[in-house]
Amino acid sequence: MFEPQAMTKVIIAGSKDYMSIVIDALHKHNAVHISDFVDEDDDFRIGKPYPNAAKLSERAVSLRSIASYLSITGKEDIQKRYPEGTITDEIDEKTEHLNVEVAQVTDTISDIDSRIKDINDKKRLLDPLKSFDLPLDLYSGYQSLAVFVGTLKGLPAISDITNDYELEIVPYGKGHAIALFVPKEFEDDVLKRLQDQSYSALSLPEIEGTPKGILGALDAQLKELESEKEKRQEDLSALRKRYIDYILASDEYLSIATQKAEAPLRFATTKNAFIIEGWIPTKNLEHIQRDVDRATDGHVMVATDTSEAVSAEKTPIALENPMPAEPFETLVRAFSLPKYNEIDPTKFVALIYPFLFALMLGDIGYGVVIIVIGLLVRRLLKSKGIRDLAAILVYAGVLSLVFGVIFNEFFGVELFGSKGLILPSYAYPTIPRFDNVLTLLLVTLVIGILMLTLGYVLGFVNEYRQHGLKHAVFAKVSWLLLLWGGVLVIVEILPPLTTGTAISISPALLAGLAVAVVGFVFLIMGEGIIGIAELPTLLSNVLSYSRLLSIGISSAGIALAVNKLSYALFFSKGGVFVIFGVLLLIVGHAVNTALGILDSGLQSLRLHYVEFFTKFYRGGGTKYRPFGYERKYTEEK
Amino acid sequence: MVDPIGAGMVALSAAIAVGATGIAAALGEQVIGSAAIGVMAEDEGFFGRGLVMTVIPESIVIFGLVVALILLFVTLPTI
Repeated sequence: MFEPQAMTKVIIAGSKDYMSIVIDALHKHNAVHISDFVDEDDDFRIGKPYPNAAKLSERAVSLRSIASYLSITGKEDIQKRYPEGTITDEIDEKTEHLNVEVAQVTDTISDIDSRIKDINDKKRLLDPLKSFDLPLDLYSGYQSLAVFVGTLKGLPAISDITNDYELEIVPYGKGHAIALFVPKEFEDDVLKRLQDQSYSALSLPEIEGTPKGILGALDAQLKELESEKEKRQEDLSALRKRYIDYILASDEYLSIATQKAEAPLRFATTKNAFIIEGWIPTKNLEHIQRDVDRATDGHVMVATDTSEAVSAEKTPIALENPMPAEPFETLVRAFSLPKYNEIDPTKFVALIYPFLFALMLGDIGYGVVIIVIGLLVRRLLKSKGIRDLAAILVYAGVLSLVFGVIFNEFFGVELFGSKGLILPSYAYPTIPRFDNVLTLLLVTLVIGILMLTLGYVLGFVNEYRQHGLKHAVFAKVSWLLLLWGGVLVIVEILPPLTTGTAISISPALLAGLAVAVVGFVFLIMGEGIIGIAELPTLLSNVLSYSRLLSIGISSAGIALAVNKLSYALFFSKGGVFVIFGVLLLIVGHAVNTALGILDSGLQSLRLHYVEFFTKFYRGGGTKYRPFGYERKYTEEK
Repeated sequence: MVDPIGAGMVALSAAIAVGATGIAAALGEQVIGSAAIGVMAEDEGFFGRGLVMTVIPESIVIFGLVVALILLFVTLPTI
């Protein structure tokens, strides 16, 4: 019940003549986790992929380039699935055709793009000159004149070189744009002078007309090109719409075909035979055996390997939990998958995580808000991980609502009772958090002690399975005894310590001490003297659960502050201020909701990962990856 | 009879308990957190264990909070 799915190790062996049939049969079941064969020797070699693999990948590459031109990501939904047979028949011809059609449009678009870039380059060059009236062809082609056209930071001061020059100058950017005509003999001197002012020359395009006129014409061209580009892009989206089904389906078909064609790379083969080593969920075993048997007329054998040598280390892990607990697998997986002979903690997490979360949030208003958020996210988003988290949020929201009723909190306001918003016809006993800090502190510590106890019990089971009874007693029972002995002692001595009275030697105190000492002896026997160093963690682990209260109180405190602020600043003044008051309430509570989700979520997770899991859970299992494909766009023949 | 100076001292003690432990935890988490993120860049599967390591120093704040809560809700009313 608390283990990962039962797996059976299988060895599938037969003649190579039947290899492709077996691959097809296994692929269809999508259930065999193949262990890749790696230890080549003289007898067994890694299999060779089928010759069509290269061609299939080639096709896939060209199809994916088309898909990327049409911005198809492979996550879209399509109306109805494509039968695989029709794809096989026409894929070559249709892909080629599609390639041509798409290339026509994309070529035009890239042509337009390069022309647009060209025009923009010209515009950039001519821009500094736009207020000069001189036609462009007059800036070059002189025998006796040197011309400098460009930009520089300061002013061109060349009167000490020559006074025989013609200068046009306008402010441009942070400096000036100039057109300077000097006699050829001064060219070098003037250039040097200009370079001192960070002169940068413009290489002018060969066009006729004044810069202004040219710029106007370029703008007109640009506009035309852009509308042309828009049209072509519409063509592209029309193509996308028409072919998206086909592209998605054939991409899937190619992925599957490639997977099958390359499958032998994972097998051990001899000259005439092949051997597949792998794992099958025990519940699917018989079905697969029967199918392979039928498909190959009994020529291929699916044998199970139940020998002792089959190690729990390498068995792939598929978690198996009933639907309501399933979303919590995400949290377990984020930590680490369990080993095959280890307890899968998902069900415990499913029970405890929302409880701890809700204990911290504990507010009717926030509870309702996060239920709504959770349901919306589940409806709108498709990613499995996010949907799982949203489901967890809904559980947590429902329990937060329950705790909200107990704590009598509604967005930080008292909801029921004589001071509350609603006076119920009969009062129920509520536990307002601010008035019961000490009681609740004790409650959180008790929760901690219980959770640690559960952790050690689960740890005992794991150790017992993996290393036997003796080890389990030393490693886990020792801590359990220390924990409960310590609890007994503290319960007995804490009240006299705080009131300052003498500690009386009661039977409970002696029992607690005795239990703790036995636990301590076990610990030393199990872990040696170094075990002492770990003792303080027990105390810090239990105290760590007090965050359940601290975070709850901070969250309620922020809600209270938002309410009080909005009343003191705005509502008390009336009139238009009410609007600001409402705004402050909305923003404040929105922020607090976000904080509440993040903080309660992470802290609850931490109490699992750090305090709970460390008592029994190591993880490190390999993920179960069956050989097969989850079809989304195609139907099998 | 409420002693205003005593009450103020208790409130300040509570503030120091939370503030100082908060700084201490932040200093610890700064180092561990950046290292954990570095590992996660290599291997995303490290998220769970990285989180565990990152939040280890946080216990100190919780202790500070417990001290503050006891000061505020147990000691303060007796003054």
